[in-house]
Amino acid sequence: MRMNKFLLTLLLIINFGFNEKPEQVISRQGKVSFFSYTSVENIKAENNQALSIINLEDGSIAVSMLMNTFVFEKALMKEHFNESYIESDIYPKATFEGRILKFDSSIKGEQTRIIKGTLLMHGVSNELEIKSKIENNDGKYILSGTFETLVKDYNINIPPLLAGNIAKSIEVNFKFEYEPYEN
Amino acid sequence: MSLMKIKKILFTGIIFMGCFHFSISQNLLEILENEQKDTLGYITPAFKMTRITFGHSTEVRSKNILEVFVANRFWDLPSEQSQSFGADRMSTRFALEYGISDRLSFGVGATTFDRLWDSYLKYNLVTQKKGEKATPFNITLLQSGSYNSSSRPYSLVVNDFSGRLSFTTQLLISRKISSDFSFQISPTFIHRGFAASEADDQNFFAMGFGARYKIGPHLSIVSEYYKTFNPIKSFDTYGPFALGVNWEVGDVLLQFMLTNTRNMVEDTFITQTRNNFNFRNPNLNFGFNATYVIHFSNRLKKK
Repeated sequence: MRMNKFLLTLLLIINFGFNEKPEQVISRQGKVSFFSYTSVENIKAENNQALSIINLEDGSIAVSMLMNTFVFEKALMKEHFNESYIESDIYPKATFEGRILKFDSSIKGEQTRIIKGTLLMHGVSNELEIKSKIENNDGKYILSGTFETLVKDYNINIPPLLAGNIAKSIEVNFKFEYEPYEN
Repeated sequence: MSLMKIKKILFTGIIFMGCFHFSISQNLLEILENEQKDTLGYITPAFKMTRITFGHSTEVRSKNILEVFVANRFWDLPSEQSQSFGADRMSTRFALEYGISDRLSFGVGATTFDRLWDSYLKYNLVTQKKGEKATPFNITLLQSGSYNSSSRPYSLVVNDFSGRLSFTTQLLISRKISSDFSFQISPTFIHRGFAASEADDQNFFAMGFGARYKIGPHLSIVSEYYKTFNPIKSFDTYGPFALGVNWEVGDVLLQFMLTNTRNMVEDTFITQTRNNFNFRNPNLNFGFNATYVIHFSNRLKKK
């Protein structure tokens, strides 16, 4: 009986430990932009509705965005992007799932960390390591960074005629401002 | 005994609760899945070009876009021997189309063969959307007018300005049925300024059918047909038909087609196509439309 009581209390403690919601922060209007620089043409697109969430305890991070919310300099480019390149009717989202290595949520100010994870886009997954800056202003976290990724890694078909117009390597910039997440 | 039972239930309950909470904290992507709202509901347009083949599609160009449009039709005369280079006859329509707003565009064009000047306003009333505010169709209104500038259009009619004018009103309704296939119907009303014979109507009702099937990232097959319900009686006319391939890359959009109509303005090709579609001369026309799109505004700077 005593043993049971002890077990029960122990379990309760453990349970409450788990029950305490892991601290998560979310960004609902994250900015993701990409650039393609070639001598023929520069292509730029922005997305201001990217979602991201971080689990502050273990540094796990996820990003999700709709491909059809990208805005292009040229209106027709958006149609081409959605229909001929990224095929957003079939693959509406790009997602990233990973972990911020050696992340310490208690450090105030800036810290530069590597984020390791998988980017899923156009139905193809690729492992990425992204160097990024994390700012912590009294619990308000800002994550930003830049990385390059290859178009051919995502099985995106560029017609030979336009090979000169679209860069092989695309520069991606991101900036997420987080707020506490309550569901 | 009952106390033990309660304890047991509590015990298992607590364990379950723990597991449950633990599993929730695991998947961040699932949380984002629930958070994601597709407020735009954007789907790629049913037709990428403003024309399916010879007729208008529901697509309009966005604000501050100028479209330079050149259409050519080539055909041979029925004579057995011909020494023409390429083709015996050709007709060219040169047109400019400008996006006044994202929904309204204005166009002017001129055609060499039938000497028509044409102009139109095209307004996109409804755009197909998915998601919360889903709309099943694209609806576009077209009002066009043409002026026949040939020196003697018809010997029978009084040669005045209004007699040379024709008007076309179209209600274009399309739907992107799958990511590859789009379909359009186009109820059409045409008023012609003159009738070649007493027996002919001046007002015509027609129905158009068009479709696009995407066969590759940049390539699609298109087809179009118009049926006139009260055709011209003084000479035989046939429904214009076209089968074509669209090649859609960058700022250049190309269309290649086989068709039985050599006219390129709505009121003429719908009511006055004199040949049926077959592979004999001069019925078969090879058509080529080239569109060059010029953007005068930067969408990113607007914000």
